[in-house]
Amino acid sequence: MTAAIVIVVGAVVLALRIWMRGRRRRGQVPSPEGARPPRRGSFGDSFGDVGLVALREIRERVRGRIFRVGTVIILLVVAGAIVIPVIHGGKAGPQEVGVVGPADPALQPLIQQAGARVGTSVRLVPEPSVRAAADALRSGAIDLAVVDGDRVVVNAPVTSDSTSTVATVAQEVAVELGIEHAYREAGLSGSQVAQLAHARPVPVQSLQPSTKGTARTTSVIGLILVFLMLTQYNTWILMGVMQEKASRVVEVLLATVRPIQLLGGKVLGIGLVAMGQAAIIVVFALVLAKAVGSDLLHGTAPLVLASELVWLFLGYAFYCWVYAAAGSMAERQDQVQTLALPLSLPIIVGYVLALTTAATGNPSVLFEVLAYLPPTAPFAMPVLVGLGDVAWWQFGASVLISIAGTVAMALVAAGVYRRAVLRSGQQVRVRELFSRPAAKRRGTAGVPG
Amino acid sequence: MGGLLELVGLRRTFGSLTALDDLSFTVPAGHVVGFLGPNGAGKTTTMRAIFGLTDLDAGTVRWNGVPLGQPERRRFGYMPEERGLYPGMLVGEQLEYLGRLHGMSGADAAAATRTWLERLDIAERAQSKVEALSHGNQQRVQLAAALLHGPELLVLDEPLAGLDPAGVDAIGQVLLDQAGAGCCVLFSSHQLDLVEDLCEQVTIIDHGRVVVSGTVDELASSGPRRLVVRVEGGRAAAWARSLPGVTVSEVAAGAARLVLDDAVDSDRVLRAAMQAGRVTEFSFQRRRLSEVFREALG
Repeated sequence: MTAAIVIVVGAVVLALRIWMRGRRRRGQVPSPEGARPPRRGSFGDSFGDVGLVALREIRERVRGRIFRVGTVIILLVVAGAIVIPVIHGGKAGPQEVGVVGPADPALQPLIQQAGARVGTSVRLVPEPSVRAAADALRSGAIDLAVVDGDRVVVNAPVTSDSTSTVATVAQEVAVELGIEHAYREAGLSGSQVAQLAHARPVPVQSLQPSTKGTARTTSVIGLILVFLMLTQYNTWILMGVMQEKASRVVEVLLATVRPIQLLGGKVLGIGLVAMGQAAIIVVFALVLAKAVGSDLLHGTAPLVLASELVWLFLGYAFYCWVYAAAGSMAERQDQVQTLALPLSLPIIVGYVLALTTAATGNPSVLFEVLAYLPPTAPFAMPVLVGLGDVAWWQFGASVLISIAGTVAMALVAAGVYRRAVLRSGQQVRVRELFSRPAAKRRGTAGVPG
Repeated sequence: MGGLLELVGLRRTFGSLTALDDLSFTVPAGHVVGFLGPNGAGKTTTMRAIFGLTDLDAGTVRWNGVPLGQPERRRFGYMPEERGLYPGMLVGEQLEYLGRLHGMSGADAAAATRTWLERLDIAERAQSKVEALSHGNQQRVQLAAALLHGPELLVLDEPLAGLDPAGVDAIGQVLLDQAGAGCCVLFSSHQLDLVEDLCEQVTIIDHGRVVVSGTVDELASSGPRRLVVRVEGGRAAAWARSLPGVTVSEVAAGAARLVLDDAVDSDRVLRAAMQAGRVTEFSFQRRRLSEVFREALG
């Protein structure tokens, strides 16, 4: 993960340095009017044009209010996701356990150990009668009650799926009491029962770190961020291409740069902004988690986070071409909306299924298949990583399939863009674009005038 | 600076519509060439073809005898008919960006931006967004975008449309200066009087074909003779309408503009005018470009 962060941050810093150098050079003494501008070499032309387009995108996007406000909102959400569980965990007070019936010296250590086993402290409160204990339960004065050492009473029903502290303590106390009864019925003495009550399970060693729950939580947070960021940057691409077409500036630009250079610069620029924003969020999350002592980034969680970053990158790389091609076919807001819905369907399906699977922890066969398809892999594969259900070679295979899909999509999108972006008037349809032979040179279809 | 733009046998069809039909003409260095034609004649398609913005079914566009590629086009300036600037981008930054896309260094692009904004009297708007500018000023920014890299060829699609007289004069002078510096200038317009004033050469197309091409002097002095005759009391020029071989093309402010067939003796026209009343004006005039245009298109 550290390597990924270094690469992303390095790319952003490099882009900013190039931009700053450009600004410094603009501040130098100008050359006399009429002097021929220096020309770059052919390699410089190709790289330079893409870089110039990308730098313009970075400058305009970073300068925009949407980016700044959006980044702040995401950081606040991340901060909340990290800090709130810590605060909530710290505030979990001792469980008040009402005790009804004759005093039993073995009862107190038994209940306290049950509480300790589920990670909470327990305070015993004597209750004079079952009725008084019931009243105390209803009023919230106590969390559960033990009646005569052989019954546990709670206010709300407890099922095997209950995960609240009260429920887990109640279940644990119930189990302990049951065992204690069994010991006594077996004829063990009080000291023997006490000895058995202090029995501790032997440690269970796993080959992988035992923070699956934490990793799952981290993968859910990462999923939400990947969804938000992919949606945001895809919209930028879609609207950016559409606006260039609508404002006709694309005609001026394509008179001097090739379509693939213009398109490449745009997706590169917005992609660098995306990776830069992701880097800011990750660094912020790491620093904050360290500072507040959160366990969200412990165990396998960093691996999940790194996986999310990889798939944010791959997801953007795949979808940016799709949305760029779509944007080139529209020049009005209503046309964009009709295109955006079908394009967003695989994203929404992948996202919802991934969230569901992350919550249940049981990936279906369909979900495992989706983890290898480029449109849905950015959501499905990180969840499988979080669940520990994927081997490194499976991850690598999905990455390779995604890269191949991205290359194919880029070729198709570049063809669509080249043919569609200069067609004005009605929304362009794909079959119209390929109904005539490709241009002999780099030209695109136009309208008579 | 200098060069020759050649369009050779351009053909482009859109379904059943033929936009360009074996279109050929040249734009020499140091000339302002007016590119005229009715709506739908193929002017915009021709200009787009120069920049590779439309497919060609046949034909080539050459610069100094070499088929055009991106390196050559990078040295050209283009002002499309429907304009094209980023509405939300600052004027100065936008021009610098476009200059750099044309191969200029950052410093040169910044200097050229300042120079052209001052030259076009919009220097104070450098930090304004394009969308905040008036139509005329946006047009000036668009022209600056086409000029700031010192183009060898300038192609302008309707650069004078919608401008006030001051704007027309300013942009017209810029075009003349560019041609004077050796640049090839090709521009289209429906304002024929302005074209006549600005251009040394004119190419008129219709249905994708060249119908007339030549210098303004050649075209004005060719064709049937034009006589302007002013007769007191003869404001409707009724006296001229019965003369054989004489066509009244226009009557304005009491003066009749007559087109004479080759066989018509101008002395006979003068005598007929004198019989109609006192003749206060009798002069031969050159053919106007608007007349060339109308006669070329039938």
